[in-house]
Amino acid sequence: MFKVTFKFENGEDVTTFAQEGEILLEVARKTNVAIDAPCSGNASCGKCKVKLVAGEMNSPKTRHISDEEYAEGWRLACVSKLTGDVEVQVPDIASAYRSRMKVADLSSKEEIAIFDQAKSDVEAAGITLKNSLDIIHVTMDEPTLDDTMPDNERLMRAIKRETGVKRVRLPYSALRKISVVFRENHFDVQCIVRRTANDIFVYDVYGRDEKVVIGGLAIDIGTTTVSALLVNMQTGEILGKASAGNGQIRYGADVINRIIESMKPGGSEKLQDAVVNETINPMIEQMCRSCGFSPLHIYRMCIASNTTMNHLLTGMNGDPIRMEPYIPTFYKTNSLFASDIGIRVNPDAHIILAPNIGSYVGGDITAGTLVSMLWNRPEFSLFIDLGTNGELVFGNSDFMMSCACSAGPAFEGGDISCGMRATDGAIEACTIDAETMEPSYSIIGDEGEKPIGLCGSGIIDVISELFRTGIINPKGKFVREGKRVRHDEYGMGSYVLAFEEESGTVKEVEINEVDIDNFIRAKGAIFSAIRTMLVSLDFDISMIDDVYVAGGIGSGINMKNAVRIGMFPDIPLEKFHYIGNSSLSGAYTMLLSKEAEQKCYEIASNMTYLELSTVPSYMDEFVACCFIPHTDTSLFPSVTEQ
Amino acid sequence: MPFNQKPQKFNANINTVEIGCGDKAIKLGGECTFPFYTFDAPTENAPKVGVEISDMGLINVPGIQEYYAGAATMAEIAKKAEAMEGADFVCLRLEGGDPNGADKSIEELIAVVKEVGEAVSCPLVVEGCKNVEKDSELLPKVAEALQGKNVLVLSAREEDYKAVGAAAGLAYNQKVGAESAVDINLAKQLNVVTTQLGVKAQDIVMNVGSAAVGYGFEYVVSTMDRIKGAALSQNDNMLQMPIITPVADETWGVKEAMASEEDMPEWGPLEERGISMEVQTAAAVLASGSDAVILRHPKSVATISKMIKELV
Repeated sequence: MFKVTFKFENGEDVTTFAQEGEILLEVARKTNVAIDAPCSGNASCGKCKVKLVAGEMNSPKTRHISDEEYAEGWRLACVSKLTGDVEVQVPDIASAYRSRMKVADLSSKEEIAIFDQAKSDVEAAGITLKNSLDIIHVTMDEPTLDDTMPDNERLMRAIKRETGVKRVRLPYSALRKISVVFRENHFDVQCIVRRTANDIFVYDVYGRDEKVVIGGLAIDIGTTTVSALLVNMQTGEILGKASAGNGQIRYGADVINRIIESMKPGGSEKLQDAVVNETINPMIEQMCRSCGFSPLHIYRMCIASNTTMNHLLTGMNGDPIRMEPYIPTFYKTNSLFASDIGIRVNPDAHIILAPNIGSYVGGDITAGTLVSMLWNRPEFSLFIDLGTNGELVFGNSDFMMSCACSAGPAFEGGDISCGMRATDGAIEACTIDAETMEPSYSIIGDEGEKPIGLCGSGIIDVISELFRTGIINPKGKFVREGKRVRHDEYGMGSYVLAFEEESGTVKEVEINEVDIDNFIRAKGAIFSAIRTMLVSLDFDISMIDDVYVAGGIGSGINMKNAVRIGMFPDIPLEKFHYIGNSSLSGAYTMLLSKEAEQKCYEIASNMTYLELSTVPSYMDEFVACCFIPHTDTSLFPSVTEQ
Repeated sequence: MPFNQKPQKFNANINTVEIGCGDKAIKLGGECTFPFYTFDAPTENAPKVGVEISDMGLINVPGIQEYYAGAATMAEIAKKAEAMEGADFVCLRLEGGDPNGADKSIEELIAVVKEVGEAVSCPLVVEGCKNVEKDSELLPKVAEALQGKNVLVLSAREEDYKAVGAAAGLAYNQKVGAESAVDINLAKQLNVVTTQLGVKAQDIVMNVGSAAVGYGFEYVVSTMDRIKGAALSQNDNMLQMPIITPVADETWGVKEAMASEEDMPEWGPLEERGISMEVQTAAAVLASGSDAVILRHPKSVATISKMIKELV
């Protein structure tokens, strides 16, 4: 047995024991130390770099590590075998993923403005924000020696009398409470119930004078990031908001790697555990703690997520999703309860799942489409969700078409050497001086925060600026030289955004040609999907009236820069609208409103799905798009003018 | 109903690129019609045929050995190539420079280049060894060594266009071959970045890649066809460069041109097969839009140049 110590820049050491020959990355996973490994340990992505502080490992040098770095002690965790006691430093950029759960400060209006907007949008479309959860007051006669009815029958009878319903159901969790609550309150109580026409389901009982809030939970489970809202089911008020990296990330950055991992023995349980117990439950706890709310008072949840994520969450067999003919277990299901999958809220809480449309267009898109309001307008809108998979919906009140393209994790910072989620320390916006080639940037977090890496919006800005200033050519290769432009031993160019002394981590923050190439592919996938879908409908780009952009790419996405690099169509900038995490705001409205939920099912069944891989011209279009802004410059007249 | 011919008129031309000097200089491109559509408009410059020779000497094909018989030095070989019936230019391939092959030094290769350059008076095309690192050192030296001869340097590729393009197109006033891998978008992208480097569009000749007939050749046809279409009907000036296609290199390496008669008696005489592959491929790339082809066998050169004469 060898002793393995993981050290962090901000945080306590983690120590564990492991056998000779064990792979460091596996040891880290077992110990719940998050080392970012998008390729799931194939030595292909080079992101699981750690630094040896003491001891030795059997660790070959890979192409991701320069001689200099190797001499400094940098190793890839996925190829390092233990040969003795060892101490390693896990750099911030790698651990930034999971860690850093963020509970939002709701005093700032911005945090909730997007959700208020979603709520008023759906209301304006004639959808009432009403759900079946309610509080009813029940006054019963106190039992006597002459009136010996048991507590549960007494309650049911009183509810039937007051409401006129034929059937009342009382689950075990509520049954256990009534005896004490009734007696403390002289049989004068309030009940949290779900009302339907002939049926009342009692979730909970409280004393007459207690201030009762019916809690609800909206969750967006992204492949990379999970976000949640704690809400008051009656008023719609947002009580708490949190986000965290998806704990499954250590099993692979994309859905395919996750599915493969889930098929290994015990894999399905590990992946479910990673998202439920390591991600969602701690988020619920922290959110509830921050506003003094009991998780048991959460009586309903709505989850929007892509098809793979909702299958892995519910422990379903995900393999058929990745295999032809790509058939998931369900598109929609109504029979899921929090207790089924171990989410620690009220055990009887029902989970609404936003419906999937196909194996690669899931509930996150149907929920997002709901709040984009695309289905309610005669004008043609394009809805783009920039996630690990890029999904598009185009249409209006008469028709809707959707497609998915594999953009890779670049928009959320994956596949980029210094990429990270949009969290503290991420460069979210950047400009570069054309003459001096010096960058200036804004960083997420408190004032004085030093840069650790780049989030999606920052990458868009950096690449657009490098192109505008002529530092890179349309292929993304470096063509200008300067203090901040460097070339490694193989001639690969990079641009240093922050030298070691300027950055907030042990490494420099830079972007290299491979990063740029990965990003160009990601943006190429998005734009070629837009073009292919429009062309298949015989539409021209100029016919798009509005573009709604969603995703966790960072709130400050600079549309002008996104157009300049050819990611979005070259139409007037005022037509672009950033609608934030639309999957989450969609889940929020579905949680609050039965009608919104129904609408979402309707949207899902009305949407046509276009499988891009069956369109012969897609690949050709993709190659044309892997150029800044595009091989066909006539598609980007405003960029060419500059 | 009588046939009423409607010429397909384009308001665009393929660029004319001149290679070589003096009265033997040739012009590539210039057309405003699809290949051999002489009924739409006269062909400005007939497609050209080049003869390929290599620093590694002659390949072991009787007809080729026989043609060059008695030629001992590279200069003599080059002179014979120049004199071949139907030849418009000579292409010198420096395949011996390949680090995974003979790995000849740059000095050694430049000596060959100079020898050939002095021996011939016809236009000269020089092709590198295909290894990106070596070519990015070798080809600038080639451009320098042949200053004033207005040669075409093959090729600048995505990986080395900066070194090759800057030397051939900017520093030494030669013509630049831009090589891409059978894809219209990649071809255009390379032209864009090469011109952004400062190389004039009129100094670029494209090698958009090829294959021997039967070896994924549909892609070659569609790529060339679409390039000519975009250049002429959409007036895309980043695709209006003439196309040169090194055919011999593709066709003499496939099994039809290599499998021995003992192994494949039903296929007929080996040499004829090789010529046949070369002729068929050359005819097909010319019909798809190439403005020049590079061939090896004297019979192929004679056949293709005769075909061009009869069609133009």
